[in-house]
Amino acid sequence: MSLGRMWVLLLFVALAVYPFLPLAEANRGEQFTILFIYAILALGLNVVMGYAGLLHLGIAAFFGIGAYTVGILTVPFLPFQQSFLVAALAAVVVSAAVGIAVTAPILRLRGDYFALVTLGLGLITLYAIRNLDAITEGTKGMNPIEAGPLPGIPDTVDMSAWRLRPDWSMRWYKYPYLYFLSLGTLAVVMLLLRNLEASRLGRAWVALREDELASACMGLNPARLKLAAVALGAGLAGLAGAFYAMALRTTGNPQAYDFTLSIIMVCCVILGGLGNRSGVLLGTFILMGFDRIITNILDNELQALQQRLNLGFGGQAYTKVSGWKLMIFGTVLILMMRFRPEGLLPEARHQRELHPEVAEAQGEAAAKIEAGETIRDK
Amino acid sequence: MFELLAIHPAASEFGQFLILGLVLGSLYALIAIGYTMVYGIIELINFAHGDLFMLGSFLALGIASGLGVLTAEAGVAWIVLTIGLMLVATPLFCATLNVTIDRFIYRPLRKSPKLTVIVSAIGVSFIFMNIGLFWRGATPVKFPDLIADTNLIDGTGLRFTWKDAMVVGITVPTMIGLTVLVKFTTLGKAMRATAQNPHAAQLMGIHVNRVIAATFAIGGALAGIASVVYGLYIKSVDYQMGFQNGLYAFTAAVLGGVGNIPGAVLGGLVIGVVGELGKAYLGAKWSEALIFGILIIILLFRPTGLLGARTREKV
Amino acid sequence: MAVLEVHKLTMRFGGITAVNNVDLTIHPGEIFSLIGPNGAGKTTVFNAITGIYEPTGGEIRFNNQPIVQPLTARTFVFALFVGITAGLLLMILAVNIEALWQTAIRDNFKGKDEPFDWGQAFADAGSHIAGRGDRAAAGFGIGLILGVAGTLASWRRARHAPDFIMRGGIARTFQNIRLFQSMTVLENVLVGMTRDLTAHPLLSALNLGSHQQQERDAERRAAEILAFVGLAGKHNELAKNLPYGDQRRLEIARALATRPQLLLLDEPAAGMNPSETAELMQLIRTIRDRGITVMLIEHHMNLVMGISDRVAVLNFGVKIAEGPPAEVCRNPKVIEAYLGQEEVS
Repeated sequence: MSLGRMWVLLLFVALAVYPFLPLAEANRGEQFTILFIYAILALGLNVVMGYAGLLHLGIAAFFGIGAYTVGILTVPFLPFQQSFLVAALAAVVVSAAVGIAVTAPILRLRGDYFALVTLGLGLITLYAIRNLDAITEGTKGMNPIEAGPLPGIPDTVDMSAWRLRPDWSMRWYKYPYLYFLSLGTLAVVMLLLRNLEASRLGRAWVALREDELASACMGLNPARLKLAAVALGAGLAGLAGAFYAMALRTTGNPQAYDFTLSIIMVCCVILGGLGNRSGVLLGTFILMGFDRIITNILDNELQALQQRLNLGFGGQAYTKVSGWKLMIFGTVLILMMRFRPEGLLPEARHQRELHPEVAEAQGEAAAKIEAGETIRDK
Repeated sequence: MFELLAIHPAASEFGQFLILGLVLGSLYALIAIGYTMVYGIIELINFAHGDLFMLGSFLALGIASGLGVLTAEAGVAWIVLTIGLMLVATPLFCATLNVTIDRFIYRPLRKSPKLTVIVSAIGVSFIFMNIGLFWRGATPVKFPDLIADTNLIDGTGLRFTWKDAMVVGITVPTMIGLTVLVKFTTLGKAMRATAQNPHAAQLMGIHVNRVIAATFAIGGALAGIASVVYGLYIKSVDYQMGFQNGLYAFTAAVLGGVGNIPGAVLGGLVIGVVGELGKAYLGAKWSEALIFGILIIILLFRPTGLLGARTREKV
Repeated sequence: MAVLEVHKLTMRFGGITAVNNVDLTIHPGEIFSLIGPNGAGKTTVFNAITGIYEPTGGEIRFNNQPIVQPLTARTFVFALFVGITAGLLLMILAVNIEALWQTAIRDNFKGKDEPFDWGQAFADAGSHIAGRGDRAAAGFGIGLILGVAGTLASWRRARHAPDFIMRGGIARTFQNIRLFQSMTVLENVLVGMTRDLTAHPLLSALNLGSHQQQERDAERRAAEILAFVGLAGKHNELAKNLPYGDQRRLEIARALATRPQLLLLDEPAAGMNPSETAELMQLIRTIRDRGITVMLIEHHMNLVMGISDRVAVLNFGVKIAEGPPAEVCRNPKVIEAYLGQEEVS
């Protein structure tokens, strides 16, 4: 196993032991949990974009549908009162079903039209969530979400024996182990996707992406393959949404599921390496980690520095790192696209698709060798 | 929500919303043309276009503040001068910015796959937004109210104010001028040729990069004009407005058949009217959803937009 | 009995008639060639047979069955299901989903620890909908019609789809090679074999049971096919890095992997040198000997005359001759069609 693959394994091990380390902080753990959840979402998007090659600009809608399904099924002021397991499964099924239902009619649209319609569907979902107050509580968000983990079984996991950091279990009310649960889910998703990539479905998606007509002539049903990718991607996004609602104990403001999130997810996938699981993981950790963790730390440091030195230029957007966030994102995206469009950890196939000149050179070399051989044969 | 259907505006109100819709629609059309021209020529969904429009309106606002012309009381001469200056400086600024972006960011990616360029455009959009944030802060800023709201068609039960007249008076001639440019000038012919087949156009001696730059310049200038009109009409600007309006304009472009200029105009008008009628009959909070709903329904029946050409793959 | 019958096939694109009233009959186990000058409509015939184009007129029958997906009861049931789902959704929207939720769920909810009366909730929902009968009916009706019509329309569009026709047993290659360029040679063949791999994707994701067995079997059969076309030992090369002749052979291997009954080869010898062409002729014969009927388009007259059992000649979309090769090449119409237009080598 090369180092290139080892790092993912090492990362997972490191993250799994992190809560037991003396340097661990519970609020950091909370932030990591959100990263794991976004990574699941990005992997879902990667199925649609990286595997099936459909530019999807509305993945956040399925994230929202997942979160709100959990909200509706678990909040104490509605009669459903399901456990988290049931609610999360429902979130996956509902998201996948909505994904199929809204994508089936628009499959025959060409690339850019498809992208725009997914964007539109994402916004319609967001508006519906925002406007249907009686069902979704509108902009207030549904809370509290405090369901038990399994149907009918009280939460008996006692974490006091786990030797975690002392305040770790204070954070998540009923779910001190949510950190491990989301990390484990992420690992399982990675494994399942790896197997799927090597199966007929994975190959069929690659074939479809490369040449839809030729793959149809090989008996593959393009519509069904695309729907399968969308269903899987939406299902994973719904799962991520379910975890998100659990981790925040609320669905939060519907704004959390808007177009910006969809676009940032697209950026995570592309930054990491379209089609490559490990790359997507890395891309999400870098981009969302920067967004959620590093800017906060830097902002606090900067503010502390200002106060210490009494500089008195605080308060402006450009005196905070978070104020520069879009600028940094934008610059990184532009530079990446210019110099490394295949992402940080490119998937071999996508790299070949993005760098035709390399393959051409190889092809020419091969042709020369071939020509040389035939001459020698004669 | 649908109880709102019970509100049946009177016929005159229908007419009023129609007027509002057409006025707003012509504004969207102006932005949409910028999208559609760029798409037509290099197949790029220019996500930064809406934010370019936003920066344009900030510049217009800066001009008004710089001249101190902030209310309608400033006198007609000053107002005309200010608006005139805005209508010259803003398009110039937006065109220059757009061409610069094309030269340094999109041009090196000319041979890259579409997705690469689109993601770069998203990056540019982020940067523009951040510039807007630094320029005018995060909260909406009031745009000087320079044009009176006097009704021009008193007595008909409808309202068509000087503001409405200003929007129509600026957008319609601009669009006519553009159509003439694309149809009858050499540049226009070169543009159409490049849009059809850049490679063949190059072989015919057309300087493709120059044509593309010209397209970005024209698209940017239109966004600049639209931004001035928008500021004067809506009277409030903020750094995130590029997203919403850009999205409407892009929707308009796709609705009409992306790459097709009359299509963009038609799409803009449809979106304006649908949005306003949606506000009237479904309530303001559902009108955005309605716009995208209409877009999806139209694309289901005409997958390449209202005026888009159908294509067939060669095997 | 014929494998493939093309009856009065006509293809029009706008004002141009590319293929005009062409009749062809291909018998099982023969090698049938379609020749003609450039632009005669040969590839168009192939595209119509394989479902890439829908014929403007005429009929194509494969094994005495029309090659369009029949309208079965299943399609209707599915359309009805979609229609009813859409109808119910629209109905709920039409009666104001928020008010419905309020009356049925929220108003009946007494508290976290009180039992929820589901019967009451459904009764209230029912009366809410009944109270808005017109809207509910209109919503349901529109949804039903749209759902059924949409499903039937998409069936109508897909009934002549290439994948359906291929699953019936017609495989093809392309004139301008259309391999999956960035996949390896083996993967290309495995894509052709997708039909053999029936394990549920869920099993594949878990890497369990029949999935592994099937993958192993498929790889073995792929290796056989690759050896058969002469690409043994190149399994892991990228398709695009193969020399031209090998790419053509890989296209044939990929088509064979689908277990076709009828194989359509579109200019398989284009760009091949004489020795490669000779090998190809042998390969095509062997394929025929394996019981696969071969229909081919070719400009290479040596190849056509050497292996064909029968030849049909198209010119300007019209069939001008058909028969055994020796007879066809003496036909004055054929000579006229070719003379001065193309080198007959």
